[in-house]
Amino acid sequence: MHGEPNQLKYTDIHNDVVRSIVETGPNYYIALVTAFALTLICFFFPWFYQLYYGIGAAGMNHPSVWGTYLASFIFWIGLSHSGTLLSCVLHITNSSWRKAMYRSAEAMTLFSLVVAAIMVMVHVGRPWFIHWAAPYPNQMEMWPNFRSPLLFDVMAITTYLTGSTIFIYMGSIPDFAAVRDRTRGWRNTMYSLMSLGWRGTDTEWHRLHWAYTFLAVLIIPLAVSVHSIVSWDFAMSIVPALHQTIFAPYFVVGAIYSGTAGIVTVMFVLRKFMDFGQYITELHFDNLGKLLLVLSLLWTYINVVEVFTGFYSGASGETEALNYRLFGFYAPLYWEMIAFCAIAPLLCAFKSFRTSFVPMLVLSIAINIGMYTERFLIVATSLSRQYLPDAWGLYVPSAVEISILLGTFALFTTLFLLFVKVFPSVSMYEVKETMESPKKSPPAASEGSPA
Amino acid sequence: MKNFVVGLFGDPESALAAAGSIQTADLGTPELMSPVPMEGVEEVLGEKKSVIKRFSLFGAIFGGISGFLLAAITAVLYAHPTGGRPIITFPPYLIITYELTILFGIVFTVIGFFVSARLPNGLWTAWWKQDENRPYVPEAAVNKFAVSVTCTSNESVQQAEAILRTAGAEEVRDVTEEN
Amino acid sequence: MSFLDRITEGWRKNRKPGYYEDFDYHWAMTIDLDQCSGCGACVTACQAENNLPIVGEDAFTKGREIKWLRIEHYWEGEYPDVKLNVIPMMCQHCDSAPCETVCPVSATYHNQDGLNTQIYNRCIGTRSCAVYCPYEVRYFNYNDHTWESPLDQQLNPDVSVREKGVMEKCTFCIQRIRQAKDNAKDDGRRRVRDGEVQPACVQTCPSKAMVFGDRNDPQSQVSQSLNDPRSYKVLDELNTNSSVVYLKKVEAEG
Repeated sequence: MHGEPNQLKYTDIHNDVVRSIVETGPNYYIALVTAFALTLICFFFPWFYQLYYGIGAAGMNHPSVWGTYLASFIFWIGLSHSGTLLSCVLHITNSSWRKAMYRSAEAMTLFSLVVAAIMVMVHVGRPWFIHWAAPYPNQMEMWPNFRSPLLFDVMAITTYLTGSTIFIYMGSIPDFAAVRDRTRGWRNTMYSLMSLGWRGTDTEWHRLHWAYTFLAVLIIPLAVSVHSIVSWDFAMSIVPALHQTIFAPYFVVGAIYSGTAGIVTVMFVLRKFMDFGQYITELHFDNLGKLLLVLSLLWTYINVVEVFTGFYSGASGETEALNYRLFGFYAPLYWEMIAFCAIAPLLCAFKSFRTSFVPMLVLSIAINIGMYTERFLIVATSLSRQYLPDAWGLYVPSAVEISILLGTFALFTTLFLLFVKVFPSVSMYEVKETMESPKKSPPAASEGSPA
Repeated sequence: MKNFVVGLFGDPESALAAAGSIQTADLGTPELMSPVPMEGVEEVLGEKKSVIKRFSLFGAIFGGISGFLLAAITAVLYAHPTGGRPIITFPPYLIITYELTILFGIVFTVIGFFVSARLPNGLWTAWWKQDENRPYVPEAAVNKFAVSVTCTSNESVQQAEAILRTAGAEEVRDVTEEN
Repeated sequence: MSFLDRITEGWRKNRKPGYYEDFDYHWAMTIDLDQCSGCGACVTACQAENNLPIVGEDAFTKGREIKWLRIEHYWEGEYPDVKLNVIPMMCQHCDSAPCETVCPVSATYHNQDGLNTQIYNRCIGTRSCAVYCPYEVRYFNYNDHTWESPLDQQLNPDVSVREKGVMEKCTFCIQRIRQAKDNAKDDGRRRVRDGEVQPACVQTCPSKAMVFGDRNDPQSQVSQSLNDPRSYKVLDELNTNSSVVYLKKVEAEG
């Protein structure tokens, strides 16, 4: 069992994945119950309190009307960026190392997006009217304002959520069919419905390949546009240090960066707790490490450009905002971000670092802490130093905000734990593709035995 | 009477070879079932064309046009001047157009996939296991490569079985439909 | 009118920037900083007229006080040689308002009088308008506010009390403008006379530093005040085209 993937047989992967779905140990239930309880306590209860009391439960005040909720929203959107985007790019470029990990990466996309969408509701003052931002005919004859960058966001995220859901589902249809015959009871009913009667005929494979490729082609520009549009929520304003043309590429790179780090974290967890050691290997960590290194350099470059152009403009507002970010109240956070996102990832230059699992896990978590800080700083430092010095302020998150921030991670974990029991978390048919196909056998011994 | 003769193979090469001989023996185009996409099917059974790209293109164009019209018409129907901008402003509406182009492109690609792959079919539900026109081999989802031949007479059944066995089938099944 | 006609007509009417100039009124205000003493009477008047909540000590220390009109203080020099400059700051009713474009639900838009309006019922509380506003004059209701008896007796019935989660800001006392227009219509006049309508702050200003009126009428007091060589707009370089014009304080050299 413990060999390189290409020495495994088709039945091994099949058995392993089916086992990961149907065999549930007590540890899983403990994890699920803990995650769910934490979601309730840290996320939903504070949120309900905030719904009752008003946004005042958070720490926002007059100049800093945006806070960690918006930072969390960008963070989760960013985390969603690598899954589907990376998967699409690697699918189109025929990179076979993608195949063992992309299903869970795409699930990460999906659940990050769900969490991000919930964060929007946490963020707005009257979430019970959030549907007014959707274009639908109504008795008020009111339509949303399509000129608003926030409405671009609504459209982009709806599209991205739809696209990612469809993409992960389409890629899973053959696997649902494979699992269908190995399960009984309600699972059998569920997988029969979800596999849509897939039989694996040559025609079906051909259509799936083309549909999947078209989806990938459509989703790549979509994913790039989504985070550009998120950046325009800021860049379309005239606030110093937010009104910057570099913001769209900055956000896209930052999103892919934090998303890739997120994939490393998820891969580590899957490998450790789902026994997928023989499918998710050092090769994956090595490649992801190289990607992280490239992205960190790009990210550093854009940061330098941002600081330099702000400095070079010499405009009083820009200079003040820049000074405040680098040396003001939030400066420790800024330098923490530089240490975690620009300096620490340079370790990925060493192959021995990239292929060792625990250091990569630590690095990936550090990067995401740094990236969260980045989003927080963008919101907090810019808003507290705007044009009129009389209206300067300071923003410190409240206990409710911090609790909700931690609760989002519990929410994400809960969703992910449910996912691994419903979806085959490693794409069976594509891992089979990377293996050597069975050779014409000597007449007596057939390759593998029917399960 | 309609019969499906299904041969199970342990490796893709023999399955493909069998499919080729079935076709040359004039028994119709066989259906291959496999756990992974098979390479070289088109060389043996002829080129496949799918309508999916037409669906994608139509969806994208439809989405683009409807996206722009949605933004433009709703703005004019209940005019809210904002920020001194014109009511129909092209740059922001192009972003809406772009997003809806992709959204409808994706949705129509999926519809195209369902139409051209003839899904969902009778296997969709657990309580209606067998589609009258489509044989199903559970092993083909795991590690077997199956070749299914549609036969309408007893002679062709025997002929197909013979070809499949010669090609090295590990097992040959005969699925008969009562009609 | 058919559907298509409505669309083409709507487009023709509103395709050009500056369509507000076609309307009857274009309300504007000038504030003469030479006459302003920073007494804060306007702030209190605004509070009374527009049902502004008294947020309480706790919210005040958190920086959540709601003052549609605030007096900004700027100190110059070192003690003992210091000088205080004051400037009343309220919604500038920009004709190219950044806050209007960003609202996803059109809760803030430019009305036919050139006013930047805020529709409380429509607001979903994204607070993006407050971020986009360079003057920081939009205030958010972080929680529901109550008026203890007998303060609830002095609430203005013409102005709605805002609930938690909505944005609010200076309206140029739109309820008074509406009243004046109704009166003018009842009297059979087409237009509101100059000086017939005054926001609470203008009405209260003891030194008559504030002038309010219709910019479309060249004879109005505000139009003449606008031509003053001392006039300037705050943050004019951002091209917001604000409707509030300040008259610079004249100081002796040295």
